[in-house]
Amino acid sequence: MKGPGRYLPIFPVLVAYALLMIFGLANPGKWQLVAQLAFYCALGQAFNLFLGMTGYVDFGYVAFLGVGTYGMAISITNLADGNLGLGVILVGFLAAAAFSTLLAMAVGAVALRLRGAYFAIATIGVNEGFRYLIEGARIWNGADGIIFSRHLKTALGRKMAMSISTFWADIFVFGVAILAAVLTLIYLRSKIGYALLALREDEDAAKVMGISVTRFKIIAFVSSAALAGLLGASGWALKLTYVYPPDVFEIHYTVEAIIIVLLGGAGTLLGPIAGGLIYGYSKYFLAITLPGFQLLIFAPIIIAIIVLFPEGLVGILKSRVHGTRFEKFIV
Amino acid sequence: MPLLKCENVSKRFGGLVAVDDVSFEIHPGELMAIVGPNGAGKTTMFNLINGVYLPDEGRIWFEGVDVTKFPPYKRAHLGMGRTFQIPRPFASATVQENIAIGAMFGAAGVELNVDEAMEVADQYIDLIGLKAHRNQPAGTLTPIEKKLVEIARALAMKPRLLLMDEAMAGMNPKDIDEMVTFIRHIRDLEGIAVVSMVEHIMRAVAGLAQRVLVMHQGAKLVDEPTKEALNDPRVIEVYLGRQAEEFDVKG
Repeated sequence: MKGPGRYLPIFPVLVAYALLMIFGLANPGKWQLVAQLAFYCALGQAFNLFLGMTGYVDFGYVAFLGVGTYGMAISITNLADGNLGLGVILVGFLAAAAFSTLLAMAVGAVALRLRGAYFAIATIGVNEGFRYLIEGARIWNGADGIIFSRHLKTALGRKMAMSISTFWADIFVFGVAILAAVLTLIYLRSKIGYALLALREDEDAAKVMGISVTRFKIIAFVSSAALAGLLGASGWALKLTYVYPPDVFEIHYTVEAIIIVLLGGAGTLLGPIAGGLIYGYSKYFLAITLPGFQLLIFAPIIIAIIVLFPEGLVGILKSRVHGTRFEKFIV
Repeated sequence: MPLLKCENVSKRFGGLVAVDDVSFEIHPGELMAIVGPNGAGKTTMFNLINGVYLPDEGRIWFEGVDVTKFPPYKRAHLGMGRTFQIPRPFASATVQENIAIGAMFGAAGVELNVDEAMEVADQYIDLIGLKAHRNQPAGTLTPIEKKLVEIARALAMKPRLLLMDEAMAGMNPKDIDEMVTFIRHIRDLEGIAVVSMVEHIMRAVAGLAQRVLVMHQGAKLVDEPTKEALNDPRVIEVYLGRQAEEFDVKG
């Protein structure tokens, strides 16, 4: 596909997020559900940039959300009295992206030299390790975490602080989701996407074809991690106005991210949105109708979907629309 | 200046000497075959040439550049292409995308954007005659079509040296003759040196190569023009064994 037409697939993404946001604004009682769905979509899109594009599974992924959350928390606590106004939030986002990027480069420089399963094993301990480092070495207030609702009020005033944590934090999550989608599409349509496709399919053949596989894996890993940092800063730090190490380094979120990506279709643009919406809504629905049993019911459904439809929902949709005029929108 | 020069190259795996002190040269535009029975060290030699393995001893030069320690992707940028014995196209990518990936990341890749690489791919799709399969995922092709896609993908890299690993294994004589004609055609068209690795299809060796390097137990046995090499008693001995009275029956 040539010219600007190659970026057409961004429209279904924007439409999906616009509809979700409008639904939330029209039904204030459902806003928390909408925020949760947006969070899962954003999580899936950010993780897909690495898992979906390279085929590598990073079990320590939640650590990037964790350090992003800390990046925002530390910026707000330290700059609350600096008369920066909303600039505090901007600095917080920059710090979040910087923290997660640095951690990704440190982890990636070692672990991305490993193949497939070895990479997955090497990353399992990253989130737990980081949590115990913070708690044990008493970095960033150690196990006590950081509570910064007071600092946020000092920096922005009571009213603005309230509106940030109850509304704008969720809008920022939408922003991260769209940013992740745009980045995914740019990668898919550029040499980076073809290099990642090649190394995902056959890493040895990719090397022989002139592809510096480690370089492209690091590009995908760092981009994905930086987005996770921004997501932690908005969906967790700004929304909750506190951060505790056990909460933000919980492997459960990595597992949810894997489910969302595989459910929707790894490596596709629309997959993580479909996966995020379905997973998020099912979790919400089961929590209301069958509280306590949601995991028990959800696990076999997920196993069935992954066994029966390994390409995910969008993967199936893609092969269905192949050759039709909808083809150029479904990526 | 030789295109490729291997000087006293050795590679060991534990106690096994897979390639033992091998030296040879390949010249621009030459058609050469590396021949030897199973286990002779041909595949290891190929992997040393294009950097999948690094040699324990010896040096390798490509167009005067010492590439001994270069990883495969850097050697590809300098102009080495390779095909595998069992074709390894990127299964979910289309034929066009597969070949375009070669164009994008090969020796001429830096100057090409995605669209230009797709145009280069189309030229090679015409060359291998798979126009009808252009937008089909490569995983759905027949084995011989996959082989052609893999060759086209390697050619799209614009190599000056093409290493073909058992390009003709498992083919019938008619297909072998067609493949030999095709390889000669691309050599003439692109002016590249082709080194093909052959286990035992002498029909292919005789038809294709100007020069033959015969390997035996990791070492270079002979390096001669094809006709001399195939009639060399040492080569015949490696393939067919010695005459019965010469056997040492003790062991």
